[in-house]
Amino acid sequence: MNRLIQLVRTADWTGWLGAAIVLVMLGAAIAAPLIAPYDPVAINIEHRLTAPDATYWLGTDQAGRDVLSRVIYGARASLAVGIGAVIIGALIGVSAGLFAAYKGGLGDQITMRIVDAIASIPLLVWAIAIVGVLGVGPVAIGSLQLPNEVKIVTLIGCLFSPVFARVTYAVAQRIVSADYVKARYLQGASHWQIVTGDVLPNCLSPIIVQATLLVAIGIVIEASISFVGLGVQPPQPSWGTMLSDARNAIYSGEWWLPVFPGLAISVTVIGFNLLGDAVRDLFDPRHEARTLVA
Amino acid sequence: MSAPLLEVEDLHVGFRGADGIVEAVRGVDFSVAPGEIVGVVGESGSGKSLSMLAVMRLLGTTARITGGRVRFAGEDLLAAGEARMRDIRGRDIAMVFQDPQSALNPALTIGRQMTDVVRAHRRVSAGGARRIAAEALERVGISDAARRLDAYPHQFSGGMRQRALIAMAIACRPRLLIADEPTTALDVTVQAQIVNLIAELRRDLDLAVVFISHNLQLVAEIVDRVMVMYGGRVVEDGPVADIETAARHPYTRLLKACVPSLQGPLGPLTTIEGAPPRLGRMPAGCPFAPRCPQAVDRCEREMPALVADAGRRVACWRPQ
Amino acid sequence: MNGPILALRGVTKSYPQGGFLDRLVGAASRFVALDDVTLEVARGDVVGIVGESGSGKSTLASLAVGLTRPTAGEVLLDGEPLAALMRDHAAPWRRRIQMVFQDSSSALNPRKTIARCLAETLALRGVPHQAWEAETVALLGLVGLGAETAPRLPHELSGGQRQRVGLARALAMKPDILIADEPVSSLDVSLQAQVINLLSRLAVDLGLTLLFISHDLAVVRTLCSRIIVMRQGRIVEDGPCRDVLERPTHPYTQLLISSVPRGIAGRRTAVAAAATGAAG
Repeated sequence: MNRLIQLVRTADWTGWLGAAIVLVMLGAAIAAPLIAPYDPVAINIEHRLTAPDATYWLGTDQAGRDVLSRVIYGARASLAVGIGAVIIGALIGVSAGLFAAYKGGLGDQITMRIVDAIASIPLLVWAIAIVGVLGVGPVAIGSLQLPNEVKIVTLIGCLFSPVFARVTYAVAQRIVSADYVKARYLQGASHWQIVTGDVLPNCLSPIIVQATLLVAIGIVIEASISFVGLGVQPPQPSWGTMLSDARNAIYSGEWWLPVFPGLAISVTVIGFNLLGDAVRDLFDPRHEARTLVA
Repeated sequence: MSAPLLEVEDLHVGFRGADGIVEAVRGVDFSVAPGEIVGVVGESGSGKSLSMLAVMRLLGTTARITGGRVRFAGEDLLAAGEARMRDIRGRDIAMVFQDPQSALNPALTIGRQMTDVVRAHRRVSAGGARRIAAEALERVGISDAARRLDAYPHQFSGGMRQRALIAMAIACRPRLLIADEPTTALDVTVQAQIVNLIAELRRDLDLAVVFISHNLQLVAEIVDRVMVMYGGRVVEDGPVADIETAARHPYTRLLKACVPSLQGPLGPLTTIEGAPPRLGRMPAGCPFAPRCPQAVDRCEREMPALVADAGRRVACWRPQ
Repeated sequence: MNGPILALRGVTKSYPQGGFLDRLVGAASRFVALDDVTLEVARGDVVGIVGESGSGKSTLASLAVGLTRPTAGEVLLDGEPLAALMRDHAAPWRRRIQMVFQDSSSALNPRKTIARCLAETLALRGVPHQAWEAETVALLGLVGLGAETAPRLPHELSGGQRQRVGLARALAMKPDILIADEPVSSLDVSLQAQVINLLSRLAVDLGLTLLFISHDLAVVRTLCSRIIVMRQGRIVEDGPCRDVLERPTHPYTQLLISSVPRGIAGRRTAVAAAATGAAG
């Protein structure tokens, strides 16, 4: 705990800015029903395409829906996808990386070559290709009905898993050969005890850094597949679908339609990136050495 | 007595920490005469390597010189510009490090790395540089030197890599060689060869050598003079025979006694209780006082000065 | 039992060289780390295993504790083949053979306090948790550390203290055999003597069988009753400490002995050797 306080004290302002942005966005997503001024899906044809004014701070869209409320509710979809995908990706990827590093030999080779194969194609291309094959909307696997959102989160999570697997593998390989792991083995500790008690805790810092950065990428992927109509389905608001709907507005002059969801994506992505960089600096051993000398 | 080649006075080196500067070298004085070989002995944290890096102005970004004077052949090295220092390093003062593995670039041939050094300091043609490199390799006992120049570091054994680094160091005929634990990473049989090589080069090339080591027994085999460091200070300094047979500082005596040897009686080894002081937690008085069996109150309070007497120096309130 | 507590019968260990593809097509050559080694260690003996890098001494240690398996031959623990024992990983035999490692900075988990490290070890030996605290203090005392060490993290200790904790952890299993792989070579000379004396005292007090692996003949001399000299994966000399050091028969042993620095006494030989080197 003392160490944590010390670390927080040494973080620089960009890290704080990142943390603040992330907190504001998370707050907005969680408290959306409380802070959104209007119903995000309520259609009001009379007030369609109103420019930002005192009533509609960020204007309204073609169906007269309040853009501010839609951006706030959109944070829910974006963050849920970003964070959910990272959790799923971390669960699969970290397990695979730990398995490969701890097991070694053939298991290691097979796992890591599969990971390489997946990682050789860009994430976005995979995402669009797979959604294209599965089709838009809910998907049924046997008797299991997966709602559309769960499908997208799971898909992006699976695509993230190789990234986690590689990061985990790289660190775990070094930890596995440490003498304290050998000592645990010689005491007769079970593989489970060794992996969860000794290997994993010493791999966590780079995994956490990676997770923070991947949330940002998840948000961009969600926006991208929603933009091409394969992600979150109307009328549910998401920053990607809002951008998609605003395509024609770029020519007709309703600038507020693309600008605000676009800004929301940019700011959130920057926030997570700043936070991720700060977390990396905090976990950097050189950084620790610097504070230790003092 | 001839004028000293290297003169260091009251050298201080500190690390910058959150609470100000932490001193790791705390007022070191010594000199090296031309052609002399000096052993600098101390445990980790004694400041022995740091002092020599400071002399070379190779401290990097974390540590810096906080005081003192360094003169090489009369020239003030602390006042010299970086360009002048680059000139001096490698040509006048050369350095050999502990780990021959990391001191060589694995992607370049030995010959390329050697000729680069030679041509940085001497106006010679590529062929001339190669000839000089081959001669240097031969000089350090690598047979078939001309052909070996085209080898990569990984094709050399650890001992041969260290020989190649020594060859690189002597190729420009420096007047001073600083060898920082040059044998610590090597096997014992190779260690003996490298130590002999350094003694031999010193004699043949009239080279002054500073040999840094934690092993008093090892340096005593070849050096003229031993300087013992502890806690960032010189605690004793004198001709090797005197240090070996009649050390005056309790630390030097214990340091000699606690190292096991192949001769002498069996039974429990002499120990020095406790551990060397950590950076930033240096005692106020004599750095060795907390572990010294002879320490009195004064040792804890006051730092003893390094007092010269008949060619020897000792920093102790109760020298023996 | 009167037989040897630890025995190696014709043990060979080799590793494939080359990349994954080479191995897949069987084109890889093999590097032999240990070559047909036969060796018996009597109960309560303190044996020094001496050799330089590549001599196979560390491979021998990891084979003896079961960290690696031999390519050929077998390791016997009290007459029972280790390969058969290892089928039951968590079995009581595990505690009987423990190891102390060379590098004190990698020997302890950086995120676990000393107390937790020892408690986990005691738990695996089956000590009830009410007794952990008392046993931890006793173990730390045994290796010359105070109870105030218990709540510390490894990086808060010096190298010598960490090496003592490593020893306490091994002793927490109440082993019969202790294998120490260069336990003092990463320590400063003033701390080295402390750890050597400690090992020497504990071996007698606890009746341990100690395999002490080192490259330093002088250290081995102060600690061991028997010396095994290894070179390139083979045993080249094996005998009582005094005999081997005073009347070495193998030229390599002689070379090792002559390479030990002898201070001012070694001065004449060093200068003489330098002179012959210069003449040649």
